[in-house]
Amino acid sequence: MTLREFYEVTGGDYGDVMGRFVTEERVLRFVRKFPADGSFAALKSSLADGNAQEAFRAAHTVKGVAQNLGFTALFTVAEVVTNILRGGSLAVDERMPELERLYNLTVESIAALD
Amino acid sequence: MGKPKKKLLIADGTEFNRSVLADAVGKEYDILFARDGAETVKYIRSYGTDLSLVLMNAAMPKISGTEVLEMMNGYKWIRDIPVIVVSSDARSEIAERAFGLGAIDFVAIPFEPKVIACRAKNAIAVYERQKKLLGLIEEQVYKQEKEQSLTINVLGSVVEFRNGESGMHVPHIYAMTEILLQNLLKISDKYKLTPQEISLIATASAMHDVGKISVDEKILNKPGKLTAGEFELVKKHTVYGSDMLEKIPFNRNAPLLGRAKEICRWHHERYDGKGYPDGLRGDAIPIAAQVVGLADAYDALTSDRPYKKAYSHDAAVEMIVNGECGAFNPVLIKALKWAASNIQNELRMSSLSGAGYRDVARITRELVSRGETSVSGRAVELMGRERAKFEFLAESCKDIVFEINAEPRFLSFKDGDAARLGVSPAVTADDAKGALNAAYNGVYGLFGLPDAATAERPEICKDLKLIIDGVEKVCRVRLLAHYAGANCVFDGAVGIIETGD
Repeated sequence: MTLREFYEVTGGDYGDVMGRFVTEERVLRFVRKFPADGSFAALKSSLADGNAQEAFRAAHTVKGVAQNLGFTALFTVAEVVTNILRGGSLAVDERMPELERLYNLTVESIAALD
Repeated sequence: MGKPKKKLLIADGTEFNRSVLADAVGKEYDILFARDGAETVKYIRSYGTDLSLVLMNAAMPKISGTEVLEMMNGYKWIRDIPVIVVSSDARSEIAERAFGLGAIDFVAIPFEPKVIACRAKNAIAVYERQKKLLGLIEEQVYKQEKEQSLTINVLGSVVEFRNGESGMHVPHIYAMTEILLQNLLKISDKYKLTPQEISLIATASAMHDVGKISVDEKILNKPGKLTAGEFELVKKHTVYGSDMLEKIPFNRNAPLLGRAKEICRWHHERYDGKGYPDGLRGDAIPIAAQVVGLADAYDALTSDRPYKKAYSHDAAVEMIVNGECGAFNPVLIKALKWAASNIQNELRMSSLSGAGYRDVARITRELVSRGETSVSGRAVELMGRERAKFEFLAESCKDIVFEINAEPRFLSFKDGDAARLGVSPAVTADDAKGALNAAYNGVYGLFGLPDAATAERPEICKDLKLIIDGVEKVCRVRLLAHYAGANCVFDGAVGIIETGD
């Protein structure tokens, strides 16, 4: 899969990220680091532990990383989750399946990159 | 070899973000990475102004970016080390708070790497320019101070020559006034003395006898005892002096002139009201005139005069204390006694240099801190040097050395020592408190140590159970707490864990 195809499949914004990072090589370097970032796992475990503060921080990081890499679809859902958690509420059950689906899709697609 | 690279600290809780930022600023920096707020503070403490820039995420584990900024404000580091705050939270209040706490710039995620590089470069340039300007101001103040004092001292001495004196009276009075005021400041806060005010009074002291140019030279230089009528004429030099200064048509409101007038008119007043020309009593005599009066009496005693030989320092102090030169403010007498051991050395020094210019740095600091800028850069630099010494000693020591940061409260260890203890290099009380991990449990005991120390007894020695290299043992821990400011607020501690290796 090419980088452009990857962004199409995962609902990202290829034009935005290329506008900022300039070269595909650079974008690829950071996209490939994405699966190693533990924030999404931290979000899930913090939710399981009922730790709203840590969950907020993790969601906030997922949101930031996704936004920086132009993963627009993932960013949009992460932002919703972050905003719910910000107030100390843990009521994100409705949003988590969608966030997890997009996260897994992104990670799987990264593995399929050329 | 080229110039050493500038040091830049990237502080972010996420490895991913750290590498994106590092990539963005480019290869021209020597980059340090902090993984949380506690590490950020640790690096800032260690490197001080060696850090050209801090790029910091607003949200970080342990201690948030906002708290780091608050702390940098507390120590005034924020004036010397530029901080750019990065945040994926685009709400304006986040940016506002960062700017409010002194951040030089704010970058929202997603950012353009090229723009980050420009902003970093800009921030560094702004702070470097500020540092250069501070250096220039310091130089200017020094020059101006030196020239101003020189002019006044020359004019003051011209008056002295007319009395047939050596010309050293003026620099002596200057030095003596300064010493007395500095000692007075140490023992009493009754008089509103700042370093600036002390310097002003000392400078004005040179003019205390200008009125003598209106007194007949024959009377001034008469070798024998003066008649009562002649003495009345000499006494008038006080009023002549203040009247002359009163008539000066320029800079009428200058504080220097104000002090000089007080000193001229009232340096022969005495605390019990028995002096002249106005018979003022107690603190109705301005403190500037009281101090110069005492300095004048001391110098008159310890100098040769046409009618008498010089007394020794000890004899002069004793005569003043016994009231042989009239009554002085008891607090000033106390200041004289306090200063007694320094006076001779100081006078010798000031005679050599013409007058004391020792405190230019102090005046500059005072001047500049009243404005927007600060010269705390120097303080941070000195602190950096102390750090280097401390770290060298810590490196050479086989025991485990640690520090406790006061606010926010956290412990820091060298990386190697942290590994031996099985904890992270920066541990907050929250990390350690109630931890299920035995290593952290042991370390938690260190947090309580400073509570038993006081400013009077800052050293603590206690045996604590700790895990070192995976083995639990009881170690002797020695700690030295430090306290800051007049109220002796706990300001951190250093300690040694004796591992017995």
